[in-house]
Amino acid sequence: MKRNHLVLILVVAALVLMVWAGVANYRRRKAEQERLRAMQAVLMPAAPPASADAGAPPEEEMKSPLEGKTAPPFTLETLQGQKVSLASYKGKAVLVNFMASWCAPCKVETPWLIKLRDQYASQGFEILGISTDDLDKDDKKLNAQDKADIAKFVSNMHIDYPVLIDGDSISHPYGGIDALPTSFFVDRSGKIIAATIGLHDRDELEANIKKALASGGA
Amino acid sequence: MRRLLSIVLAGALCLGLQCAVSQKLAWQSDAQTKGDAHQMVRFLYPEQVTVVAGKPSVLELHFRVNDGLHINSHEPRAKSLIPTQLMVGEPTGVDVASVDFPPGTDYSPAFTPNDKLSVYTGEFVLRAHVTAQHGDHLVQAALRYQACDANSCYPPKTAPVAISLIAK
Repeated sequence: MKRNHLVLILVVAALVLMVWAGVANYRRRKAEQERLRAMQAVLMPAAPPASADAGAPPEEEMKSPLEGKTAPPFTLETLQGQKVSLASYKGKAVLVNFMASWCAPCKVETPWLIKLRDQYASQGFEILGISTDDLDKDDKKLNAQDKADIAKFVSNMHIDYPVLIDGDSISHPYGGIDALPTSFFVDRSGKIIAATIGLHDRDELEANIKKALASGGA
Repeated sequence: MRRLLSIVLAGALCLGLQCAVSQKLAWQSDAQTKGDAHQMVRFLYPEQVTVVAGKPSVLELHFRVNDGLHINSHEPRAKSLIPTQLMVGEPTGVDVASVDFPPGTDYSPAFTPNDKLSVYTGEFVLRAHVTAQHGDHLVQAALRYQACDANSCYPPKTAPVAISLIAK
């Protein structure tokens, strides 16, 4: 009789353990799914291709979650140490262009950007080039060398719009800049009206610039 | 009764273990669980090598670039491009004299068909010249690379390399 009681207690304990395990498992899965949903809301669609059929950039079909939202504010320095804020361009249409000196597609689109800026500057259009080149923060000499390399790139490419450095420091609010070039088209009210990842053709750039110029005016 | 008890206990144990061990969800790949979710180049092999103690040996390190991507070779044609490099931490008792990189293959991006880049795609092999003293050693290294696809470039990354080197 005593032995039967012991067995019964063990069975009940085992059943309680099974129920507990099931509930805990369910809760953990639910939490993971919530976390995934939150991640998907923040992440930019720039996952690098991992298969042969991934040649075409998948981001082209996906919309940035930042579109329609106010562009995250930032203040960065130029190569000359002058501080530049996005806020100071309110009333203008701005192309925030993340790039790097080592990025070959960036070199292709830069001449287009220079010409488009010339073409639309009189209508209130500006480009802010955001360099994501590494900057050594511990060694002043290396930091100066890094800046000199960016300056050389700017000079070689004949870039005449502001180029701001340390772009990685604002990467997070812009969804994490995983691929270059990445461009955000900001309208006159400071709202992002389009975003592109990777090299897009000149006509598409121009269409987005026109859209930014036409939007958000008083 | 005893049989019932054993079945119930086994079931409980399985469920408990399943709950305790971190599970892989549908959206988690193996790479993610290993912490290299965004690697575009992976070290393939060897994981373990046996060499003759005190004698120079060559380790062939095999890597693979993800399909649809290319990385700059060790000697890219433009100075502004980031070369592929191997940073090796030499443990006590192991001397890495040099690492040979294969020549890059020519690649012309679609957006600049007249340009020729020197790149690695698919699988490539580095040859490390090592001399190890008698014993077991863990050689750790990191491959620094910068990848691009047809339209975009990705920030430089490092792929971890770990080899168990046995010198007899």
